[in-house]
Amino acid sequence: MLSFSRKIDKTAFRALEKHLILAYSTSSEPQREEEFRVLNLKHVKGQTVQRRSVRKAEIQPPRTTQMPVDQDWGNVWPGPRSFHPATVPLPIRQGYTPTGVAPGKYANAELMKIPNFLHLTPPVIKRQCEALKKFCTPWPKALDSDEKCERFFPLEVASSDYCHSSPTIRDPLARIVSVKFKLGVLGLEGRAKDKFLRLVGERYDEQTDIVTIVTDRCPLKKQNYDYAMYLITALYHESLNVEPWEELKSEADMEVYIWENNASKTSIEALFGKEAKEIENVEQYSQAVVRYMNEGENQYTVEQYGDAVRKILNLPPVPR
Amino acid sequence: MSLPQLKNILRAPTFYRLLSTSTACQKSQSGRYRITPRKDLPLTYEMANPPHQIAHRKTWNSINTSNLEGGLRSSETAIEDIFIRKFMTGTWHALFLSEIIIKRQHNIIRIAGIVRRSVSARKMYFLIGYTEELLSFWLQCPVKVELQTVADRRDVVFKYI
Repeated sequence: MLSFSRKIDKTAFRALEKHLILAYSTSSEPQREEEFRVLNLKHVKGQTVQRRSVRKAEIQPPRTTQMPVDQDWGNVWPGPRSFHPATVPLPIRQGYTPTGVAPGKYANAELMKIPNFLHLTPPVIKRQCEALKKFCTPWPKALDSDEKCERFFPLEVASSDYCHSSPTIRDPLARIVSVKFKLGVLGLEGRAKDKFLRLVGERYDEQTDIVTIVTDRCPLKKQNYDYAMYLITALYHESLNVEPWEELKSEADMEVYIWENNASKTSIEALFGKEAKEIENVEQYSQAVVRYMNEGENQYTVEQYGDAVRKILNLPPVPR
Repeated sequence: MSLPQLKNILRAPTFYRLLSTSTACQKSQSGRYRITPRKDLPLTYEMANPPHQIAHRKTWNSINTSNLEGGLRSSETAIEDIFIRKFMTGTWHALFLSEIIIKRQHNIIRIAGIVRRSVSARKMYFLIGYTEELLSFWLQCPVKVELQTVADRRDVVFKYI
């Protein structure tokens, strides 16, 4: 009989207990540990090679099996992402097989290749629009018609931004700025308008009365916009300028026939003996002469001219 | 017989080799697999469809806007894609069962593919982080690795030829 004093701590007691168990147990476990391993260079048939069993990791079942019916899909798939079959609870198939059904969604690389819009379902778009609403300002109430918009904002500035799938956000085409406005809003008349049109050249569209200025010579959009504004300002003031040599323009330098400046007016005044304004039907006559001189001689202008002459002289019209 | 040919004939025989530095364009062979006698060559869906089926039965493995009209950086994108593929096959050694899919969306590069579950989940998370970190450092844009795992390599087999 052994007796232990209380001062022996628990660890020592346990070690002893273990020793006792080892000494009296009949299992072969401790004996195997002591067995000396033999180095077996040649592969002898009797040699048993212990194959390590591959321990398979426990895999959770697909997430789709645990999804409630009324879940919020926007929280499951919050952003753009490649397709994942365990997250999408849809029985999707993709691929072509000559016979049989198309491959399913698991282990299907084709579904991962194509871009998906699972993050842009209608309720999610609605939610995002609601979130963006507080950054928007209401449309000004005074601008209720297109005519008012055109009147108060006569300039139309257009430029493009480009999105590429590349690490750079720069695109050289983004620098181009085009400015459109109606020539009428500048309020140019006569000589100034003529000068403006000469300066603008083919940037003026006669059908719609719109001037289009495209600037692309500077590297940045801002610079091009500033340059376009500078061009409009310069064009306006330049067309209002009157150079001293412009006063020297004589009848031979005129590019169009103007009835008031010509011999036709003086001769008809001499014929009637009064001012041109007071003569009856002089408007039609002057227009006919202008058309005849500007458009050239053709059947129509000649007939118009003949009619106008007959009218101004109070002659009966030619029966046709 | 012309003079250069005569010169060639009269010249003493030398041992030399010719080296072609351009890659061979074997367009009738590339991407196609031959039927084996035992019909036991496993093919994935990607391998089972030859290249002329791209855009008909299968899609491209790289999706970006570089080669569209007016696209930028087409050559750089191609080189980067090759680099990403080499890096992925080397880093995820013998793990990828599909082709490496590279999708570019603005400045994000998404790398997708099907991976075997032969390494532990912890190692896989490490590899994902490692790949994303290094590639985003080299390519100077955010890289995301979006993988799908399968238990066995037979899961991706479409047919045997």
